[in-house]
Amino acid sequence: MSKVKTMFKNDINKSQKSAGQKSLAPKKQSLFAHKKSTAWLEKKQISHSGVTILTVIICIFSLFCALSFGAADISFADVWHSLWQNEDVGFIQRIIWELRMPRAILALLAGCGLAISGLILQMVTRNPLADPYLFGISSGASLGVVILIATTGSIFTVMTPIAAFVGSLVAMVMLMLIAGRRQSQQVESMLLAGVALSFLFSSFTNLLLYHTDPQAVTAVLFWTMGSFSRAQWENLLFPTVVIITCIVFMLAYRRQLSAMLLGDESATTLGINVNRFRIIMLLLSSLITATLVSMCGGIGFVGLMIPHIVRFFISQGTVFGILLTALVGGIFMIWVDILSRTILVNQELPVGVITAATGSLFFLTLLYFRKNRPN
Amino acid sequence: MSTNVSKLVKVNQITKTALLTVEHLSWCADDNLILDDISFAVKQGSFTGILGPNGAGKSSLLRCLYRFVKPKQGKVSFAHHNEHHNIWQLNANDYAKNVAVVLQETPSHFNLTVYDVVALGLIPHKGIFSRADNADDEKIAQAISQVGLENKVQQSFEHLSGGEKQRALIARAIVQSPSLLIMDEPTSHLDVRYQIQIMELAKSLGITVIASFHDLNLASAMCDNLLVLNQGKLVCQGTPKEVLTSEMLSDVFGVCAHISEHQQHKVPHISYYYGYTSGDHEQGEDHV
Repeated sequence: MSKVKTMFKNDINKSQKSAGQKSLAPKKQSLFAHKKSTAWLEKKQISHSGVTILTVIICIFSLFCALSFGAADISFADVWHSLWQNEDVGFIQRIIWELRMPRAILALLAGCGLAISGLILQMVTRNPLADPYLFGISSGASLGVVILIATTGSIFTVMTPIAAFVGSLVAMVMLMLIAGRRQSQQVESMLLAGVALSFLFSSFTNLLLYHTDPQAVTAVLFWTMGSFSRAQWENLLFPTVVIITCIVFMLAYRRQLSAMLLGDESATTLGINVNRFRIIMLLLSSLITATLVSMCGGIGFVGLMIPHIVRFFISQGTVFGILLTALVGGIFMIWVDILSRTILVNQELPVGVITAATGSLFFLTLLYFRKNRPN
Repeated sequence: MSTNVSKLVKVNQITKTALLTVEHLSWCADDNLILDDISFAVKQGSFTGILGPNGAGKSSLLRCLYRFVKPKQGKVSFAHHNEHHNIWQLNANDYAKNVAVVLQETPSHFNLTVYDVVALGLIPHKGIFSRADNADDEKIAQAISQVGLENKVQQSFEHLSGGEKQRALIARAIVQSPSLLIMDEPTSHLDVRYQIQIMELAKSLGITVIASFHDLNLASAMCDNLLVLNQGKLVCQGTPKEVLTSEMLSDVFGVCAHISEHQQHKVPHISYYYGYTSGDHEQGEDHV
């Protein structure tokens, strides 16, 4: 019996020793570990900058393609010439500078903006299915446009984007009033209120459409499917400013954004005012969506899926992750616009149709290969 | 870091002053009184365990301590720069620099790596535009090696085991470089090895720790001081020897148990009697 006891004691002593070594980590070991992990960090940074440079190159190439492809065939060489020549070479240069360039830039902006606003929403609500359209913002915009058409009778005027913007602002303010009040379970009430508002606005829209003339209905339908055809240089300033401001804001608060993923309580213990932070971020995201919806109509799917696709490969709380998400969104949108202009001869497909179709096919493929791969 | 820790321990041994004091704290949720007139003090460098049956108010009490909920009455004060402040008068960021919290919540769905999670501990110390510099990288690397997760740095947090997740969250708390660590049931869902490992890790940090427990024997072995809550009231407090009595166990937890001395650590050791309700206490002892 006593033998057993001493054996037991020895065992305990041994285990204590080893536990002590492990937890207190003698200097040598920790120094070595430190070296190892910072070496890894450097490696990570190199590969990150490599990927970023590659993405920027792809982005510029895509813009170039967007200038070249279209109803009028323009070769890459002509595009290159007209970009650098100052004197008027006529027709081709006008197509590139006045039609295709603003359009490509708007597509880039819209892709970046929607991807970023989707990412913001998914992070602050900790819901990977969150999307700018889930919160009633685009239905608010549609309602604004339909009210304008129903009251003035004119189909598309200068007032259309303004009406869309006002409509989405109204939706946003209503969402704030409902969700901002409740301190606990803010995420849940926000999502539920968003879905409810979205349906409420859609029903009003449908009611109004039911009473307006069929021509207006067609116009509204086309508008809700999204298009970049209204892009002009003088329209681009506002969305550029909004999206760049929001991205800078997001980069500044990237750590707080990732902390939100830990949960409300843990984020609070890191010194974050969770409810206020979430509302500010929701405002930012709504502002982006409202701006883009008013310019290009409803383009679904991008805000939901681009952050997901990027998330398959990297973690998104870093400067690198945020910028990459924005760039991938932009590139995707440029190609969608190219497709919408070239698939049918002499006709333009709505952008929303293509984003949904290509995006979901791509996503399903990705999911399929993910499933067959061990983690 | 390790020299700092040993210094801290030394200092703490000399000046055992109160780091956190709770005076007449009451808190209610929707008119239900959850915490009722609780007062206690936590000494600097001590390890305090909070015990109590499910629904006794352990988590609510901790929430009041880490500023997640505001108490209805009473106050919690924290020694900041040698002065006691009501925690609600301190800046949220200042408080987060001093108090780190490890909770049961874990991030999900978002592919955060272990490194990302640990780096979140920098938040209270960093301005919005400042980048992580070399010193920060070193801090993070050191915290990761302190919890022994060097070879998991790149892994997704989601795919860690329960014990590793807890260790990663503790590493995050270490990066926060706090003077007080609060843990809400840090050992639940963990197997015995990880339970002991996590608690030893927390103890080795050399800072003040407040943790809630379900395993009374673990609490007895680890804590300098125990608080027992029952139905929102502080029933008793003191050293494990003073608190862990068979009367308390039958009154608060409704179990009958025999208390002996742990043969290695000389702390109270609880052996439960199975098949008896607390009323059969005496009978149970006769039976054995």
